[in-house]
Amino acid sequence: MLNSLFQKFLGKGKSKDVAKKRLQFALIYDQMEVSEDILQNLQRDVVEVISRYFVIDEESLQLEIKRDKNVSALVVNTPIIRSMRSKPCSA
Amino acid sequence: MVGKTIVITSGKGGVGKSTATANIGAALAMEGKRVAVVDMDIGLRNLDVILGLENRIVFTVVDAVKGKCRINQAAIRDRRIENLYLIPASQSDNKDVLKPAEMENFCNRMRKEFDFILMDCPAGIERGFENAVAGADEAVVVCTPEVSSIRDADRIIGLLYSRSITPKLVVNRIVPEMVERGDMLSHEDVVEVLSIDLLGLVPMDDQVVISTNTGNPLVAQKGSLAGEAFWRIAMRLNGQKDLPIQAPKVKTGFWGKIGLKLIGRS
Repeated sequence: MLNSLFQKFLGKGKSKDVAKKRLQFALIYDQMEVSEDILQNLQRDVVEVISRYFVIDEESLQLEIKRDKNVSALVVNTPIIRSMRSKPCSA
Repeated sequence: MVGKTIVITSGKGGVGKSTATANIGAALAMEGKRVAVVDMDIGLRNLDVILGLENRIVFTVVDAVKGKCRINQAAIRDRRIENLYLIPASQSDNKDVLKPAEMENFCNRMRKEFDFILMDCPAGIERGFENAVAGADEAVVVCTPEVSSIRDADRIIGLLYSRSITPKLVVNRIVPEMVERGDMLSHEDVVEVLSIDLLGLVPMDDQVVISTNTGNPLVAQKGSLAGEAFWRIAMRLNGQKDLPIQAPKVKTGFWGKIGLKLIGRS
């Protein structure tokens, strides 16, 4: 009781709130970590989908997960050789 | 008989998996169920000492899985608690001697002989975990209200989901005084962070160490807070869904308050 009063006067937060915040961030980062296998499967699927609309250079396609302090992004980078407009998609 | 296989797991070591397995198993047996507790920590067995059965090991889970002995030869009958059987881990092998496919087969055989098969999973996420989980119908994740334990629990929960198992959570070693002054995550915090269903809450209790010293499960003795909590967890696993989950409380009686003052906890 006295302890928590002191903490209030000193403006110090509860240590469990710090723990909770740190945990929530850690778990988000942990869950975003993607294994090499999953990344390769994703790349294969992405190539397949894009190839329905564009002719691309499959070898030079780059796929990565970028992390910033607040946001994460999946970045797919590929040069387009030409579009498939002339040929209807056969799916 | 078509029994149920429940794996008790945590990711992190030392959070109370074996204590939970021993006590939940003992409580279910005392309710008249035929229970086998299986120590899956091959190479580092401990469930035998917690249950006080370390002097009676002849065959191990490795022998039983590999068909070197029958299940009833490996299962050590507890002489104090009727219907409770321990299948101990082997101490000389390592986790790689067993394969998940063999474990599935073993669990199918076990279901014919027992109502409940409790798998005490080793720490970690490698082969030992895979073996313990392979034949499981349900899972119980044990964690303590600490950052490292909760983080590992989250990882284990993810791995269980990927095997189509929805685990339930036991928060162990809650110190209500610390929760009250904001120095320990409350069970609400833990449940919120992990977003998982709760199965039970167990307070920190000196009796746990004492019961391991003597090899007598807590649930077989009266008057222990942790023992009562494990008992209620076992009853919920046994189908008593309406049994309320009680949060550990700060001792507030007159003598309790004096006691707290004396040990400087208030």
